[in-house]
Amino acid sequence: MSDSLWGLTWSRFRRSKLATLALVYVGVATVVALLAPLLANRKPLLAKTAHGWSSPALADFWNAYPELDAPASPASFALPAPVPFSPNTIDLRARLEPPGNGHYLGTDDLGRDVLSRMIHGARVSLAVGYFATLIAVLVGSLFGALAGYYGGAADWLVSRFIEVVLCFPFLFLLLGIVALFKPSMMTIMIALGLTSWTSEARYVRGEFLRIREVEYAQAARASGARDGRIIFRHLLPNALAPVLVSASFGVAAAILTESALSFLGLGVALPTASWGSILSTAHEHIEYGWWLVLFPGLAIFSTVAAFNIVGERVREALDPRSD
Amino acid sequence: MIVYVIRRLLYAVLTFLGITVATFVLIHSVPGDPITFFLGRAGTTTIPPETLAAIRAEFHLDEPLPRQYLHWVRGAATFDFGISIIDRRPVRERILEKLPNTFQLNFLAFAIAALLGIPIGLWSATRSGRLTERASAVGFFLLYSLPSFWVALLLMQFFSVRYDIFPLLGMTSDDYTELGTAGKLADRLRHLVLPVATMTYAQLAIFARFSKATLTEVIRQDFITAARAKGAGPATVLWHHAFRNALIPMITLLGITVPHLISGSVIVEQIFQWDGVGLLYIQSVLSRDYPTVMGLTVVTAVVTLLASLVADILYAFADPRIRLGERA
Repeated sequence: MSDSLWGLTWSRFRRSKLATLALVYVGVATVVALLAPLLANRKPLLAKTAHGWSSPALADFWNAYPELDAPASPASFALPAPVPFSPNTIDLRARLEPPGNGHYLGTDDLGRDVLSRMIHGARVSLAVGYFATLIAVLVGSLFGALAGYYGGAADWLVSRFIEVVLCFPFLFLLLGIVALFKPSMMTIMIALGLTSWTSEARYVRGEFLRIREVEYAQAARASGARDGRIIFRHLLPNALAPVLVSASFGVAAAILTESALSFLGLGVALPTASWGSILSTAHEHIEYGWWLVLFPGLAIFSTVAAFNIVGERVREALDPRSD
Repeated sequence: MIVYVIRRLLYAVLTFLGITVATFVLIHSVPGDPITFFLGRAGTTTIPPETLAAIRAEFHLDEPLPRQYLHWVRGAATFDFGISIIDRRPVRERILEKLPNTFQLNFLAFAIAALLGIPIGLWSATRSGRLTERASAVGFFLLYSLPSFWVALLLMQFFSVRYDIFPLLGMTSDDYTELGTAGKLADRLRHLVLPVATMTYAQLAIFARFSKATLTEVIRQDFITAARAKGAGPATVLWHHAFRNALIPMITLLGITVPHLISGSVIVEQIFQWDGVGLLYIQSVLSRDYPTVMGLTVVTAVVTLLASLVADILYAFADPRIRLGERA
């Protein structure tokens, strides 16, 4: 890792302690999201029953509605999950309980454990964030590459198209799409991806305009490579650096937007936990439950801030003029 | 200059057509025709086929798509979007009566954010490399990452629920009509504080970041080095040479922040039950009132388009390089 662009960028990136911390935070949040059923589950991680050893929590990885399971057979030994509550287990005797008393971050209006819902909500937020951004990067790179490589009419068309997309206030367009189609995680990912590719497209277009006539592109052309090969094999890999920056900001924006949609009741279908939907419960119970406001909001804020800080640092690290 | 403005206007017309095409495609990518969608699958079987055909003919649904588009765009160009499914009133009327409330909120947020954000941004750019500059950069980022609905809930929790300084919801109190003129004004202002505060902070961060970036960019230019080299003091360089040039790109902020503000007002108006366009939009979305949804989508897109058009033309007036560059 020395003289390559990525090696250099990485070593410059690490010079910022805050950004390194943010990157670690992003990593931890991602792992928490991936391992949610093992971290917050009313079923034990490890249990010994009459049928021998098993891991009921692990089975939830492939089970969309674990709450509907039949009660487990009595276990002679059980190792509980760190947060021994499932996100959708309703307990009406424990409604709106403040933090403490077994529920680390309290319960909501149906007695569901807030921490457990937040851990499972991380799955929704990060999955939407990553996949929506992936779609945006793919669409944006394609349009940007075509516009930048061919120039002329292609460039003109793509630029006008971007202008049109940019004219729609983001949330309006998104709410419109979500309203027309059935709100689900898939709809939201696709809608977000298809409405937020413009900055990626502009970056890639700019890079392509800059590098389409450099020596290695000319060499590839002279050796008879077709356009597709030049675009995808030779130019695109060299145009991706600024995309990394906008992708990082993109994940932050997507997480923010998903939580806003869920907050407005147009996000991921209930009862699936999401940070925004916990906050919308908080809105209904604004008179009582401060813990319902504080913790999910902190989760959204810290995750979004972490992605933004990482993106900003990558931008600085890639900028030859900054130090 | 004239050539530039005309060209820009032509592009704007083209973009408007693009907006209508995009909206139209969006409506028609929904499975099933609008009548089936409105009545439900069961509804269409109970209505005699002649009636269905008559309704289809009345709304031009029996014609090929390009013809349908022409009918629709003719309405859209005069802001005639049909009548609302909810209360059977013209969509245009419903939008126009809510527009002032949203404008009030957005204008205040825009003005406050600009008045606070730009000086903060310029100031932090002059502190380049120092601790205050680093800290303010991080501060902008944190502000920018704060979800507005969360901030709104925190403000409500603190100022309305706990200390009862500002009202929780709405635009006026219940006893509004009984108040005197001064009382009415005070009541409205009290209701404005929390929504405006929620809308302002994120804009403020955008303004501050942008103005900081433009001034930093200007300071790197050769003519600043030249001014320093000829012996001008730091204050003269900053005031006389740098600031004036840094202010020009800020015109583009108009085009950048307007869509942000409009998007933001959806959330803020919903939380504070502010009776504006954003609340109307979310209500229409939730009740599947498509004529209103589509009408508002076009209207907000046109407002955004106008903002960026005005910004571009002002920019060309302020910076001759733009219009001369276009001619060359």
